[in-house]
Amino acid sequence: MNSSLERSWKAHKLIERLGQKLNRQVVGSLVACVHCGMCTESCHYVLANPDDPTFAPAYKGDQLRKIFKRHYDWTGSVFPWWVKAATVDSEKDLEDLKDIAFGKCTNCRRCTFNCPMGVDLAAFNRVTRGLLTYVGVMPDGVSVVSKDQWEIGNQMGVLKEDYLDTLEWMQEELQSELDDPTMTIPIDKPDCEVIYTINPREAKYDPRSIADAAKIFNVVGEKWTMPSEGWDMTNFGLFSGDDELGGAVARRVYDKVQELRAKRLVMSECGHGYRSTRCEGPNWAKYDVPFTMESSVVTMLDYVTSGRLKVDKTRNSIPVTYHDSCNFARSCGMTEEPRELLRLVCTDFREMYPNRADNYCCTGGGGAMSMSEYTPRRLKSAKVKADQLAATGAKIVVTSCHNCVDGLNDLIRHYKLDMKVTQLVNLVATAMIMPEKVKPVAVPANGATVLSATNGDEAFALAKSEKPHLLTLDLAMPGKSASEVFEELRRDPALAGLKICIITGRPELRKTIYDRAVQPPEGYLDKPLTEQSLLTNVKKVLEVAHHQS
Amino acid sequence: MNEPSAHLHFASHRLQEVALLFMAVVYTIRLIWYFRFPAAQERQAPTGGGWSTPDKGILFSLLIIATPWEMESTRKRWFLWCQFVVFHLGVAASIALSFVIPYLPKLLTSTVVVGGLQLILGLACLVGVMRLVRRVGNMHMRAISSPDDYFSLALLTVWLGIAAATAPNNVTRGEGLQLTYFYVTAFFLMYVPFSKISHYLYYPFTRYYLGKSFGRRGLFPIRRGPEPQA
Repeated sequence: MNSSLERSWKAHKLIERLGQKLNRQVVGSLVACVHCGMCTESCHYVLANPDDPTFAPAYKGDQLRKIFKRHYDWTGSVFPWWVKAATVDSEKDLEDLKDIAFGKCTNCRRCTFNCPMGVDLAAFNRVTRGLLTYVGVMPDGVSVVSKDQWEIGNQMGVLKEDYLDTLEWMQEELQSELDDPTMTIPIDKPDCEVIYTINPREAKYDPRSIADAAKIFNVVGEKWTMPSEGWDMTNFGLFSGDDELGGAVARRVYDKVQELRAKRLVMSECGHGYRSTRCEGPNWAKYDVPFTMESSVVTMLDYVTSGRLKVDKTRNSIPVTYHDSCNFARSCGMTEEPRELLRLVCTDFREMYPNRADNYCCTGGGGAMSMSEYTPRRLKSAKVKADQLAATGAKIVVTSCHNCVDGLNDLIRHYKLDMKVTQLVNLVATAMIMPEKVKPVAVPANGATVLSATNGDEAFALAKSEKPHLLTLDLAMPGKSASEVFEELRRDPALAGLKICIITGRPELRKTIYDRAVQPPEGYLDKPLTEQSLLTNVKKVLEVAHHQS
Repeated sequence: MNEPSAHLHFASHRLQEVALLFMAVVYTIRLIWYFRFPAAQERQAPTGGGWSTPDKGILFSLLIIATPWEMESTRKRWFLWCQFVVFHLGVAASIALSFVIPYLPKLLTSTVVVGGLQLILGLACLVGVMRLVRRVGNMHMRAISSPDDYFSLALLTVWLGIAAATAPNNVTRGEGLQLTYFYVTAFFLMYVPFSKISHYLYYPFTRYYLGKSFGRRGLFPIRRGPEPQA
């Protein structure tokens, strides 16, 4: 290395920045390593490259440790050669550091779990990435994606109009597929129970997953919306190590949730997005989040276990295995919920070994999919994962992470495995039993005329103009909430004689009707409905009304 | 039992006291330095339900070294973990010996005590040699080793060997062994704070912070699924 007198400006700034980024946890990890080598074989790069010691986690960690020791630790300052302390001076030093921090580690955190000393090697590899990013030394892909996320607001540079077009398109697809105009993807609807955010990859390459999620929300009658801004819950700050970017992106999402006064932020299946928004974002943004944040895996599991969503697992009978995303399993503890859900929606679930916190990275993590210069290295290291997948005998690998979907697809192609990759949302949507639609034919057959409205406003207008004898009101409806429509109908003197029958698959919402300070509805029906039960109740309500009159 | 010479008395008392004091001062400075770094705050809402809390995480994390089945690295390489146990027991025994000889020499009149100490110290010395061989012979270990790594391990191995030989505390053939043991011990005590041997000073903190964070995130204690069927 050159003498410090010849140190480049970037190297100088990197060393200076390191001093600003040191905290007790990072310093602890930097000073506590005893070079015992126990972490070595925990790394998939080492397993795939057994003859190259530069892939060893401790070796990779030492690249930052030596700079720390040389500039911020006493022994290394006085006797650098004794503890292998060293500095960075030239552009080449920085490029070498970049090659290791970005190209030889996916920050999967498997080594952290295997370190007897509790050294969080993945955390300080991220610090190294952050230092390099700070001085502009990073892979082109990382630079481009970060720029998009800073400037356009999402990591794939999806323009707002394209995003909204995609949502509209998916809504039309959904309505056409199910022949149901009440299926909607609401945008920027305030005061919802759920605000749903996604990975831009879904808007760009996999809109079907948005439609599947929308189908689920609609069927359970969730009061939900998607935001027009702050919809990207992924965060390249996690991969680039740039806490400022991380904080800014997370804040965009939090601010939008606050603006729309949603109660819960639900994130689609994305390991790094979930980790960034749920776990790290509040720290980066220094934001005490006042609302609940959860993965859609938890939301779907809740729908199924509570009976709000009926599923038929026999519709997913092909053998499946589950790949634990590193960010999901090793940074957020999300290991059991996906399995519980899988067992509810599939008939043949097979564990992969090792699994959960011991699982191997898909090799596409840590932003690796955006760093094409390291692709051959990545695919070589993917042999470990390929062997793991093949040993399961499954035909489908399920994962709750979009990065993993891409990483796994890549390695499946490369190693010619007979498998395909999917996500839980797709399996749930397949297994979902659509509630039987109430066919109005039964009622007309009995001498009545049926008028239909697709939302609250339309129902109100129709009731005013047509003055029907009976109005059935589904608690899950697009637009205005059913309870608001109910109260408006009741308070309108022109509709004083209108009989109302509530229909819902969500009994817990009863109180939103019965707690209102107006006359309660004349009828109440639980879903699923049969034509007979509908007919009986309609007759009953009308007969009572007739007797009363 | 013969009375120790003034030289041995100095080496086993005053020299050790000075070395210990030096070590304590340096450790104190070291801890002050360490605690001047701010601790990162965890703002995320807790996850994990009942099985995982910060307190449980901390406890799990601190005890992980005694629960080798919890980490794949120790679960799969149990022989290395056994070496670790023997080596550290040896270090503890050698430290204890440096107090027993000057303050409780009568303990060493028991052949059981001496035999036990020699067995532990001898095995630990053997493990030290094995660790040196691994560090020199394994390319991954060589790549991460600094002069301090080699020297610290060699120093401990030699010290354990000398301690094993000194344990009977027999001065009938001269005090050379005792003097060597106490001088090496004093050097060891003064060198430790500057070397990797001081890792035990940081262990509670790295483990504490990792356990606290991982406990909050539902990661510690680690949840495992069933093992593959044969």
